[in-house]
Amino acid sequence: MSLPELSLHGLERPDSLGSVCERLAERAARGEKTVLLAGGTDWFVERHVAPATDGSEAELVLDVSRLPELRGISASGDTLWIGAATTYLELRRHPVVAARVPLLPAMSKDVGAVQIQARGTLGGNLATASPAADGVGALAALDATVHLLSVRGPRSIAISDYFTGYKRSVRAADEVITGFTVQMPGEGSFQYWRKVGTRLAQAISKVALAGVAEVSDGQVTRLGLGMVSVAPTTAFLPTVRALALRRPLDRIADSALDAATQADVSPIDDVRSTGDYRRHVSGALVREFFRTLRSR
Amino acid sequence: MIVRLEVNGERRLVDLPPLTRLLDALRGPLGLTGTKEGCGEGECGSCTVLLDGDPVNACLVATAQCEGRSVTTVEGLGALDGRARETGGLSLLQAAFVTEGGAQCGICTPGMLIAAEALLRETVDGANRKPTDTEIREAVAGNICRCTGYQRIVDSIAQAAALRRRVSPADWVRENLPFAKAEGTRGLL
Ligand SMILES: Cc1cc2nc3c(=O)[nH]c(=O)nc-3n(C[C@H](O)[C@H](O)[C@H](O)COP(=O)(O)OP(=O)(O)OC[C@H]3O[C@@H](n4cnc5c(N)ncnc54)[C@H](O)[C@@H]3O)c2cc1C
Ligand code: FES
Ligand code: FES
Repeated sequence: MSLPELSLHGLERPDSLGSVCERLAERAARGEKTVLLAGGTDWFVERHVAPATDGSEAELVLDVSRLPELRGISASGDTLWIGAATTYLELRRHPVVAARVPLLPAMSKDVGAVQIQARGTLGGNLATASPAADGVGALAALDATVHLLSVRGPRSIAISDYFTGYKRSVRAADEVITGFTVQMPGEGSFQYWRKVGTRLAQAISKVALAGVAEVSDGQVTRLGLGMVSVAPTTAFLPTVRALALRRPLDRIADSALDAATQADVSPIDDVRSTGDYRRHVSGALVREFFRTLRSR
Repeated sequence: MIVRLEVNGERRLVDLPPLTRLLDALRGPLGLTGTKEGCGEGECGSCTVLLDGDPVNACLVATAQCEGRSVTTVEGLGALDGRARETGGLSLLQAAFVTEGGAQCGICTPGMLIAAEALLRETVDGANRKPTDTEIREAVAGNICRCTGYQRIVDSIAQAAALRRRVSPADWVRENLPFAKAEGTRGLL
């Protein structure tokens, strides 16, 4: 079965980021819908489920998948830049990422299957602001900065300030996500990724936890956590962070971690799991994170 | 929109609405019906093709996004081998699926073969080593088979990996698929 409704959408391939911003601004001012197509792994599925029904309603598609400004990974000192159109497979293959931020390839390996990893991008993962986004969980644990651009200029936002609600964010209709910066964890840091789904591949997370910690003289000096599918947005677990940061590791009790985790999550029942199961797994993952950290 | 791309080593041109799925461009105007559609949503992998060497789901790629890029479909596997005539049109990997029972109804097979080909290029061709059992299973984790169970598919890929360096496809096919030389095995897959 082909998808003839796809022919209702126009497609443009702007040759620079500037022209993408101009096109978005013009169209947003007229109230017209525009979609940026990166890997297409979310957009094509949405069109398969809900095809456009008439040409005037069909959103215009701007292909941003090959814009040089959105592509590439580069390190400068301890700062890592990841362009929004970077794919999971590129994250898996990058030597600096593998050496300094192994959390990212570990997460990427668990996204869909290799066919999805070869196309899906981090920018596309954030854009939909879904709490089930694995890439965003990892970016949350890394306390990444999100970079946005529009005709009004660039702005940078801490990822913890990005979400305003379920599938909602501070990003305006005319803004492009250009990329992310991350302060790479130091040598000897602890990085953790564990995804719990129905099976290892092609499963959206029931719960997943990304974590980053640095410990100095037995004290937690850096702590980042991002939990997936346990709240209306990616969960940053602020209570757990506050409990453990700058604390001696051996004085962080499991019972306190459990209470903090439960205060930070508000999971629901849905097609993939139940709220009860998610609460149980949330606690278990946070405990496992600290148990592994302590035993290093 | 006119899109120029390379398909199985040949330069091709299609004129289609730009968001036409690569899957429909292949099965329609490009006349390559080896690539199958299962779910249309990226889940089953039956539409897997190589795009610039990486496996992708052709049901999730816009034809316009393939401008200037190279696509390999199941039809290209034997042909790209350069010894297609001797092997009855099959690559060693395809032939291994025949002898090891990696294919039954065959709907998933083109996608399985392409996903496996990507793995063999990375491990055998790229790093001169055999893939591990886990790597094989991960490589086809995005490909669903209704018929065989997965063990025979994994065995087929392992067999192809073991042989890929050691024998020429022609020799192997002559030994294992004696009918191939005489009749050609194109119809089998
Ligand atoms: C079979 C399957 C399995 C999957 N498994 C997982 C999984 O395990 N974990 C997971 O997290 N996700 C999964 N996904 C979802 C999807 O692959 C990811 O969310 C992916 O990161 C989306 O990126 P994309 O480039 O393909 O997005 P696209 O489909 O190209 O775009 C999605 C949305 O993002 C917007 N967008 C894209 N780039 C930008 C930008 N630079 N600036 C602003 N807006 C932008 C688009 O306008 C569009 O609205 C899966 C999908 C499929 C089909
Ligand atoms: S048809 Fe493309 S993945 Fe199923
Ligand atoms: S051989 Fe029939 S689906 Fe795999």
